[in-house]
Amino acid sequence: MTTMIEAEGLSKTFRVARRRPGLIGSLRSVFDPEVRVVPAVQDLSLNVGRGEMIGLVGPNGAGKSTTIKMLTGILVPSGGTMRVAGLNPVQQRRELASRIGVVFGQRSQLWWDLPLIDSLRLLRHLYRVPEARHSANLANLRALLELDEFMDTPVRQLSLGQRMRGDLAAALLHDPELLYLDEPTIGLDVVAKARVREFLLAINAERNVTVLLTTHDMDDVETLCPRMLIIDHGRKLYDGTVTAIRERFGGERMLIAILDPAEFAALARDGNGLPILGDLPAGVTIASADNPKIALSFRRDAIPAHELVAWLGARYRLRDVTFHEPEIEDVIRRIYEEGLLLAEAYV
Amino acid sequence: MLSNILSDLSLYRRLIGMQLRTQAQYKFNLLIDVGTYLFVTTMEFFGVLFYFGSFKSILGWTIGEVALLTATASFGFGLAEMIGAGIDSFDVTIRRGEFDRLLLRPVSAFIQVIGSDFRLRRLGRLTQGCIAFAIGFVLLPGFHWTPAKLLILLLGIASAAAIFVSILLMSATLCFWTVETTELFNSLTYGGREMMSYPLTIYHQLLQRFFLFVVPLAFGAYIPVCYLLDRPLPFDMPAVVAFASPLVALAFTLVAGAVWRFGVYHYQGTGS
Repeated sequence: MTTMIEAEGLSKTFRVARRRPGLIGSLRSVFDPEVRVVPAVQDLSLNVGRGEMIGLVGPNGAGKSTTIKMLTGILVPSGGTMRVAGLNPVQQRRELASRIGVVFGQRSQLWWDLPLIDSLRLLRHLYRVPEARHSANLANLRALLELDEFMDTPVRQLSLGQRMRGDLAAALLHDPELLYLDEPTIGLDVVAKARVREFLLAINAERNVTVLLTTHDMDDVETLCPRMLIIDHGRKLYDGTVTAIRERFGGERMLIAILDPAEFAALARDGNGLPILGDLPAGVTIASADNPKIALSFRRDAIPAHELVAWLGARYRLRDVTFHEPEIEDVIRRIYEEGLLLAEAYV
Repeated sequence: MLSNILSDLSLYRRLIGMQLRTQAQYKFNLLIDVGTYLFVTTMEFFGVLFYFGSFKSILGWTIGEVALLTATASFGFGLAEMIGAGIDSFDVTIRRGEFDRLLLRPVSAFIQVIGSDFRLRRLGRLTQGCIAFAIGFVLLPGFHWTPAKLLILLLGIASAAAIFVSILLMSATLCFWTVETTELFNSLTYGGREMMSYPLTIYHQLLQRFFLFVVPLAFGAYIPVCYLLDRPLPFDMPAVVAFASPLVALAFTLVAGAVWRFGVYHYQGTGS
């Protein structure tokens, strides 16, 4: 079976009773509750193949967690159909549970007061893993995640990075085909983040584990996920590559040119201390200048990159030229704030 | 189906093993807790016995017979308190959002809940029960054991434990809707145990029927002890009905189980 997740038109609507303030309000709420209908997820369709690594991105409250809860069988959808690993998540929840692993970034599934090794051993029984396979997996994960140094420490005494590694091991002990990660790198330092990312790439390559990763960290997405989903207001706004979206919405690119230092010093300066380059093409502005480096910011649709280089090269001696792509963070922020994709979703 | 039950039981055993190991780490604490609870429950027991300072009997029941009644009710309840500890703290589990984690595992959510805690310190109440039994039999010099009576007593205690655990379960299921446990069910557990410490016949007809046919706690204490003492059963039921205690308890637990499943289903519909 090559398709891991097939979801068609998924939707989830919550009925939330509004609490009225004050004592009278509370009493009124008992007899005449004002029910608000909250559409958490609307008409979401998704197709994930085996072995894919997908980033799930969206502002808080977008419906990402609700979608994952539906896919794992915790929540019953209000509408739509779905099949995960060939199973119906709601009706075959327990069977599906033995084929998936879940890591919550902010809540651990390990037993707080017991040493890590105890949790990992207990999970063998909770997931009904045969002894031999469990030992082999445990040995492998111990090595990959370098767990040996804190195997006997109670989980409550572990640092966040150590606890996250423990949680990753716990989620993979039973050889799941599909791994859901909910903000796995949140709060981790740079080294720990790199380790987690390396680990995920390794297990994806070695075991062909399908990974669905919810994150606010764009570096996670860029490093790990060839494919990205943007969810906002319960709708799927985008399903494609990171590069494609950067090209589409990343408004400005940056050209960094190293000029000849003597020429640079000879340039006239304006009131802000930035050099004046005569008759700059439309859509190009000087972002910064620091002898001999000058950075020009230009809109993608204003002038093609090679033309700008040609224009600059015709006027000044260029020692070196590089381009900077817009930060994907900024792209995503623009999409959230300006609702750039929302308009399309309602078409 | 049977293999499922067996594997669930073995899982329960393992989960409890973890709990016991954690609690046994703090031996001194445990000893103090057990001792304190023994003291508290013994005071409750003496409270029952003080009645007999002024009166010779209560509706024909002597002090020794009432002691047996208290002992049986206490023992059943003590077992339920120990076993059902995880159910008792279910409201905390729901509030912390930890129930989702249980649903993500391929084993029964109920086994995980009931296996999440095991209060060894409730041994204090069980010790009090033993003391009460001892006092009761000392005060009843004419009492003769038969194999049937022993069986009835053991079945009765097991039934009482099962019924109390079921009440705890239904109370916990309410957390899916209200997030907090309610005092209503506390009145059935603590209140029920207290009421079952006295002969059922002292209560109004309506209450007697309630504790026989609605929440059948009487089948866990009053009826087995009646059989032990060769007393007539309420409402002129034949003595053999005493053997039906486990069946009655089973029926009640099945009801509680259905309520629990309905609660889980509701949780999946509304997402806490």
